[in-house]
Amino acid sequence: MWIPIQIDENRPEPLYHQIEVQLRGLILGGQLAEGTLLPSIREFASHLRCSAITVRRVYQDLENEGLLRTRQGTGTFVAGVDAAARAGHRLERVVEAFERAVETGLQLQCTLEEMEQILQDVYARRTTATKGDSP
Amino acid sequence: MNEGLTREPAAISLRGAAVRRRQFTLGPLTLDIPSGMVTAIVGPNGSGKSTLFRMLLQMEPYEEGEAKLLGARVGPGGDDAAKARIGFVAELPHAYEGGLTAEEKARFAAAWYPTWSWDRYRKLMRKFEAEGNTKLRKLSKGMRRKVELAIAMAHDPELLLLDEPSSGLDPFAWKTMLEELHRYMESGDRTLVLATHITEEVRRLADYVLFLHRGRSLGMYEKDQLFDAWRVFAIQTATGLDLAKLQAIPGVQGAAEAGPGIYRLETDRADETEEYCLAQGYKLLSAQRMEMEEILACLVRKEEAGR
Repeated sequence: MWIPIQIDENRPEPLYHQIEVQLRGLILGGQLAEGTLLPSIREFASHLRCSAITVRRVYQDLENEGLLRTRQGTGTFVAGVDAAARAGHRLERVVEAFERAVETGLQLQCTLEEMEQILQDVYARRTTATKGDSP
Repeated sequence: MNEGLTREPAAISLRGAAVRRRQFTLGPLTLDIPSGMVTAIVGPNGSGKSTLFRMLLQMEPYEEGEAKLLGARVGPGGDDAAKARIGFVAELPHAYEGGLTAEEKARFAAAWYPTWSWDRYRKLMRKFEAEGNTKLRKLSKGMRRKVELAIAMAHDPELLLLDEPSSGLDPFAWKTMLEELHRYMESGDRTLVLATHITEEVRRLADYVLFLHRGRSLGMYEKDQLFDAWRVFAIQTATGLDLAKLQAIPGVQGAAEAGPGIYRLETDRADETEEYCLAQGYKLLSAQRMEMEEILACLVRKEEAGR
């Protein structure tokens, strides 16, 4: 199966971290349902163009968190996730995206007020656009 | 030594192994190439990649130290049975085989390797769209390469050694080769070692990278960690910095002034360099990953300076 993970090579975070955050997001977000069989380590590595060591590390970390299960000889599966864990992780990706935006803002010497104004403008524009589109 | 770097048992283990010739010395090398993994040997022409393969295959005797392949000692008193568990494609095809067709060469290989499978051979030949009944010397370079690969892989060797496998292959054949090598690695108990200077091949295949230069190792690295750690930064300061100050920045392997008050830093510890620069109040203009060639050039420069 093909798993939608995007690696941004110029981000400072190490590759394994980027893959781990996104895979965790897909599991907790419910896009990968309980029982889904994940690609083998070698197959996933070749899709992501990273090393098998990195994929093995990601699988092991998520297994330790209880999100994945490995059955000898069969492969690695998505484990059952309880609702509380899902809710707790819902914001993780969003927080990360905001962190990047704030980082760019700070690089360009934006003030907090300027950033808050931008957030409100973008939010207002997006929500109006959605309302306009819906019947 | 790179003990502790890998958790896998070693498919190839060298302890002070050296080949000494009048023109060229390889080693002494002490390193472990892990089994179940893909290791790319990268180095400029004449760095000793082919000599290393020849040494491992007993085509080049070594004078010092010890070399072990799949647990068996290489050389006199060693175990010849280990050779049947290895597949090899040399950098240049053997001239004396030019008069054979692929089928004829395969028949020799079938007699020699207990694990040979005609079924696997035919599948590989079909995948590569390789020519089975033409004399090898009449084939184009790329076509001959495909035949050599199919024959080297048809006994599903435990250890596959490929010396510049993609030379002469067109982009389609190259892609097929990558697919077949991924398939070969799938079971997890096979080991691939390839010499290459094609960056894209390293990116797509390798788990580990071993840098060789003038017969010496410049280190063995986990590939993703290597590319994670090496970055080139552009920084800007109001005050201006001299070379000594730039080189004192943690992790910096190379530094140059790129414009007034702007400096280009190459680092092998990106996070430490970044943290230090920000603490000093330097402005970080950009941060980029480095290409393999740039990293190798940096390591070579360092090695030459230390000689």
